[in-house]
Amino acid sequence: MKGFKTNLTSTLFGIRNALGVPALLLFSAMTGFGSLAQEQGLSLWISMLSTVLIWGMPGQVVHVELYGLGAPLIAVALGVAGANARFLPMTLSMMPLLRKAPHHRRWNYLLVHMISINTWAEMMRKGDEIPVERRVAYFLGFSSTCMFAGVLGVIQGYLLLENMPKLVSLCLLFLVPIYFALIMSNTTHPPFLLAFALGCLSGPIFHQWTPEWGLVISGTIAGTIAFLLRNHIPFAKSGKGTFG
Amino acid sequence: MLNQGKGPLVEASAWLIFLSAIFATYIWRFAAVMISHRIEPNHPIFEWFTCLAYGIIAALVARTLVFPMGILQEIPLWQRLFSMVFAFLGFYLLGKRLWVGILFGEFAFLLLIWFHGFFWEG
Repeated sequence: MKGFKTNLTSTLFGIRNALGVPALLLFSAMTGFGSLAQEQGLSLWISMLSTVLIWGMPGQVVHVELYGLGAPLIAVALGVAGANARFLPMTLSMMPLLRKAPHHRRWNYLLVHMISINTWAEMMRKGDEIPVERRVAYFLGFSSTCMFAGVLGVIQGYLLLENMPKLVSLCLLFLVPIYFALIMSNTTHPPFLLAFALGCLSGPIFHQWTPEWGLVISGTIAGTIAFLLRNHIPFAKSGKGTFG
Repeated sequence: MLNQGKGPLVEASAWLIFLSAIFATYIWRFAAVMISHRIEPNHPIFEWFTCLAYGIIAALVARTLVFPMGILQEIPLWQRLFSMVFAFLGFYLLGKRLWVGILFGEFAFLLLIWFHGFFWEG
């Protein structure tokens, strides 16, 4: 493909694909986070660094909320670990895309820091079309653009959200569930679709039972049921994932 | 809020708590890379964990829709769900274009807010 001739063009291609809906999404989501951080008394510096260094919104929210309540360190660590536990399955499922890449695999420990729902979904969808030696460049271009938009969103939310017209803030915040629901439901692999549907149904239920670990529990149940049924779903091709 | 006093001790504990939150997130990514380097590429665990990722993200999406944070709570649940249905209709019936789905959802969302204000509060 033309855009992937060199690492530079692949990075630029990633940046270009991120500028648009993905960057806007990160901006919106982090606007919500920024205003929450401001309400809870977290400094602007930590709020911005939180997006760069944690890079996982549910965990960032738990961190800010528990910090605002004056919770002890161990409670914050456990709460964040629960809220961001999805990075274990997400990272693991993205690793086959990097397997034959030319870099030393030790770099993977750094690269995976850039995984978020947005960048993960992008790589799961486009990864196979990108030449294996250009995937890292594309991924870094795409994800760092998203991260930059996220930091801008934090600043905007922290400093300005209260002064924005309410309808605009509402639309920005509502963009987040719409975007994720659309990109995640748009998979052609039946078990993933089943996991998505079951997760949607069980998520709110388990959330009421345990807000911090509800996501992991409901998602694990939903995903495991979908995986076990993968060869019994009507119209499903037998046992072939995106990586085949 | 409890932590708004600005002593050096409070400042230091804020950074310590922040570091623990960073660590609590990165440890999952780290564990995943370690596991993936130790199993063969076609192991079914990859598909299982992708299913888990879909399940967890779906739970997260449903949670932000049903139990949102901040000012979204002021919008009744049925209005949020209805707008989401519209986003899906726009996306799947009109050629799976992301911006079409988003515009449909946001448009329905705004329209419902407007009607709601018009009939109930206006």
